Amino acid sequence: MNLGKKLEILSEAAKYDASCSSSGSNRKNSTSGLGNSAQGGICHSWSDDGRCISLLKILFTNYCIYDCAYCVNRRSNDLPRTTFTPQEVAELTINFYKRNYIEGLFLSSAIHKNADYTMEKILKTVELLRNKHNYNGYIHLKAIPGADYQLVKQAGEYADRMSVNIELPSRKSLAELAPQKKPEDILKPMKKIGKGVKENKEEKRKYENAPNFVPGGQSTQLIVGASPEPDYQILKLSEGLYNNLNLKRVYYSAFVPVNDNNKLPTINRPPLIREHRLYQADWLLRFYNFEADELLDQNHPNFNIELDPKADWAVNHLEKFPIEVNKADYQTLLRVPGIGPKSAARIVRSRKRIKLGYYDLINIGMVLKRAKYFITCKGKYFAGVPMKKEILEERLANKSKNWNQLALFNNKEVKN
Amino acid sequence: MIYYLYDGSFSGFLTAIYKAFYSKEDPDSIIKKSLYKPRLFGEIWEIETDENNADKVAKAIKSKISRQSYKNIYYSFLSEQEKIEIEIYYYLKIAFEKGKKIDKNWANDQVRKIKKTSRKVGRERHKYLGLLRFRELKKEVLYAPFEPTYNLLPIISSHFASRIKNNRWVIHDKKRELAVVYDKNEWVMIGGEELPKINYTNREHYYQNLWKDFFENISIENRRNLKRQSNFMPKKYWKYLIEK
Repeated sequence: MNLGKKLEILSEAAKYDASCSSSGSNRKNSTSGLGNSAQGGICHSWSDDGRCISLLKILFTNYCIYDCAYCVNRRSNDLPRTTFTPQEVAELTINFYKRNYIEGLFLSSAIHKNADYTMEKILKTVELLRNKHNYNGYIHLKAIPGADYQLVKQAGEYADRMSVNIELPSRKSLAELAPQKKPEDILKPMKKIGKGVKENKEEKRKYENAPNFVPGGQSTQLIVGASPEPDYQILKLSEGLYNNLNLKRVYYSAFVPVNDNNKLPTINRPPLIREHRLYQADWLLRFYNFEADELLDQNHPNFNIELDPKADWAVNHLEKFPIEVNKADYQTLLRVPGIGPKSAARIVRSRKRIKLGYYDLINIGMVLKRAKYFITCKGKYFAGVPMKKEILEERLANKSKNWNQLALFNNKEVKN
Repeated sequence: MIYYLYDGSFSGFLTAIYKAFYSKEDPDSIIKKSLYKPRLFGEIWEIETDENNADKVAKAIKSKISRQSYKNIYYSFLSEQEKIEIEIYYYLKIAFEKGKKIDKNWANDQVRKIKKTSRKVGRERHKYLGLLRFRELKKEVLYAPFEPTYNLLPIISSHFASRIKNNRWVIHDKKRELAVVYDKNEWVMIGGEELPKINYTNREHYYQNLWKDFFENISIENRRNLKRQSNFMPKKYWKYLIEK
């Protein structure tokens, strides 16, 4: 099979992995090499689904010994199978990278023969890129669940980021939909990598020349909507991963039905808004000091589709508002819908010089569309509507009704 | 009316700033010689570019204001927007008085104008770090044509010089007919007309096709969203993209 056909099959097979980030590493080029990492990451294109393309995202092989219900590559699916060689992956990466198509490589794989065999191939590929081709661009590798940790560790010394995908957010769902995968095989390498990243950071603080170990940190992915777990359970899981396993990112992937299987829900469209709400909440955990228990609970286990999680939290805690922008501390400002870390910092800085009025806030670059319902400036409330839950909900809601209106003129009807 | 005419270079502009700060009267306009249309009234000062004086201004900005401010001025200058030179002059008058606090000041109109312009240029630069596409020419040269809105060549080249050290390359601004040439050691700017004829290697086409196929394959059909795609990647970037 020629390289073009292999690339077609093995990129098609890799596209359901949501991770695309190329940030977090500052690996520097050697004196005559190829590649340099950009700390903030760089997007190189956007595909027709609007997702950014930053990395050459491919599977090493789509031959798989597992038969997971949700996965397009499961053993019982009848589809063309192939496998790259380490040389082929290196050649593609180098040639795409030097043309500036990509920021680096994201190499994942199905489990071919056994976990160790697959991990060895992945390791061989990065060794080739780093040592033979003098390639210093970004590399994201999958740690294959169940593989010998020595192999994972060696790969981690070449990689910028590693990930192990949990995919299903509970043991019960995992047992049901991916019966051959053991939860321990997923969690063990995550724990070890997390520990390794932490130790490496300390080592680097002491010795400047300490070797790298996964400098861009560890990530994972959860599928949303393939199994019955509510948002609350998913978010609690993420919170635990951030706090206990030192994860850099958790990705959420709206379930796209690729297999017919009576264990899976039938849906027409992937739950994109739900995925979006989880990402918003994830940001609240990482950058806004929220806790999962503040956003959801047993009685409200799912996010409001109409309101983003922060606005939803605010309209349900109106007793805390309005806050005075000239007095509230940074953490309190962060809790206002429409105020993020940047605006909050600007407010705190600017109010040292002058007492901030409504127009001063606009002048320092804030957008008050949402924030105005929750703040006072020098004691004045500028929103012009009473602070009542129903009113604010209506003002802050996504105008999803409009989408329905547009849908009145869908293609079918126009054709008729 | 006092018109300062300079040669169009950043050093020329900084020399003009030097002159203006040592004159009693503010200039009304600082303008590139090539863009100046003769007027009936007004005084014309021809600015002779002086690297020494330009250097003094650059150093003063960096030490008395801040490096961030120097970057904002340079980026704004590269925007090539009409009258940006005089805007920078008035910004500097405030900035030299306020010192490095100016970087955090969002309330002053003049200051905000420069910051905003600098941000626009910075944003386009960042987009092109990802969206520039090199093509492989014979004799082992990589070649990337583009037509940026702002004059990005001087601020985009060092990124690629630290990234692609094992290959010679050229970045060609076709709108301004300027090019940067890198010889595995350092990069220099030349006129676009000095570039030799473009001759692609045989395998260039092969890799372009592989990339196009990858681009098609990686998209998830159930999530198709062209609006979102062109929000991130507006049409103005498409002309030299392989995949579009």
